[in-house]
Amino acid sequence: MMNMSDIVERLSTLPQHAAAGSALAVKGSQLTSVVMLVCNEHKLVLRIEQGVVQSVSTGPHVMPSFDFSLSASEPDWQLFLSSVPPPGSHDLIALLRRGALELQGNLYPLMSHLMYFKLLFESLRTETSS
Amino acid sequence: MNGQVHIEPVTGRYMRLPIDGQMYRVYWEEAGSGIPLVCLHTAGADGRQYRELLNDEQITANFRVIVFDMPWHGKSSPPAGFQQHTYELTTEGYVNQILAICDALALEQPVVMGCSIGGRVVLQLALHHPERFSALIGLQSSAHVEPYYDTSWLHRSDVHGGEICGAIAYGLMAPMSPDDHRYETVWHYQQGGPGVFKGDLYFYKIDGDFREQLSGIDTSKCPLYLLTGGYDYSCTPDDTRQLASQLGVDMIEMENLGHFPMSENPQLFRQYLLPVLEEIRSKC
Repeated sequence: MMNMSDIVERLSTLPQHAAAGSALAVKGSQLTSVVMLVCNEHKLVLRIEQGVVQSVSTGPHVMPSFDFSLSASEPDWQLFLSSVPPPGSHDLIALLRRGALELQGNLYPLMSHLMYFKLLFESLRTETSS
Repeated sequence: MNGQVHIEPVTGRYMRLPIDGQMYRVYWEEAGSGIPLVCLHTAGADGRQYRELLNDEQITANFRVIVFDMPWHGKSSPPAGFQQHTYELTTEGYVNQILAICDALALEQPVVMGCSIGGRVVLQLALHHPERFSALIGLQSSAHVEPYYDTSWLHRSDVHGGEICGAIAYGLMAPMSPDDHRYETVWHYQQGGPGVFKGDLYFYKIDGDFREQLSGIDTSKCPLYLLTGGYDYSCTPDDTRQLASQLGVDMIEMENLGHFPMSENPQLFRQYLLPVLEEIRSKC
């Protein structure tokens, strides 16, 4: 089971999954956004430019500016990131449905590129499930 | 003939028929012979969701499988003058289109199997028209779904409707369902007309709230079968379990399936469906 540092470490690898020229970067080629990821007291700032995840900053942050935030608890990030996530934890909207994910801010970048974000976070699972 | 070519035993045709006093052009496909089995697709999609069931010889040997695209969906047209209206599926309109199509095809005592909104509307058929059907099957069936995301995102001029509808459908499937079937299911959603998925959800989340009508169903008049995929978070197994409990019927939880069992993993789904169809056949 992943602990908090494992989760933060996993999230920090996002630039490797949406590097320039990757399928995800192509999919998000019209997406430029700054996203705050929250896991308990940890806050990570994700910078996306034209679909490429340029950086993930673990802070400390001074007056961070971002478009929207995704917040979930450590156990819920653990379940979501598991190689075969259980029902209710296999999708961002599944988390939202059971109140495990909180979305705040301007959701336009997320909802106009919903598949991009779903696939981006799924890419962090250790192995694909199909 | 090239040995890799396979012509499917599925035929597709159009009918023109009045529904609620307005003419519609409706597309349907069918295969097989025997007990009519009318299949209802989910919100925002079309009859292609049942493509493998139409090709399942073990089913078509005993059932005449009939799948129609609801008006506004797939190859069925919206009615003349649609451009002047916002599409919203109502309970009455949904029930009437099913009855009209069954009448148009002169179906006697068909079985109706519906998924999601189709799983909801079979409850209306059980309540108001049990004598017309030999059995009803609800897939992902619940009496009500509380809103859990803002459906206005599904139809905005500044958000690609196909992209977001496909993304919403994607998450409703089990992660272990085969990619080819998962992405075909997504594709159906990506091809839906502007605002159609959202318009269907008007029935699913607002107009079709069935909670106050449950006590009127007498399942001794028409058998009702309920099957729900474990990964569905729109209609969860617990939602169906609650419905089944209130109706006094059993429910089958389908492990490793999501909201679109017949489309996302047809091979797994048939393992759950075949015993149900066999039981229905034994009683007909």
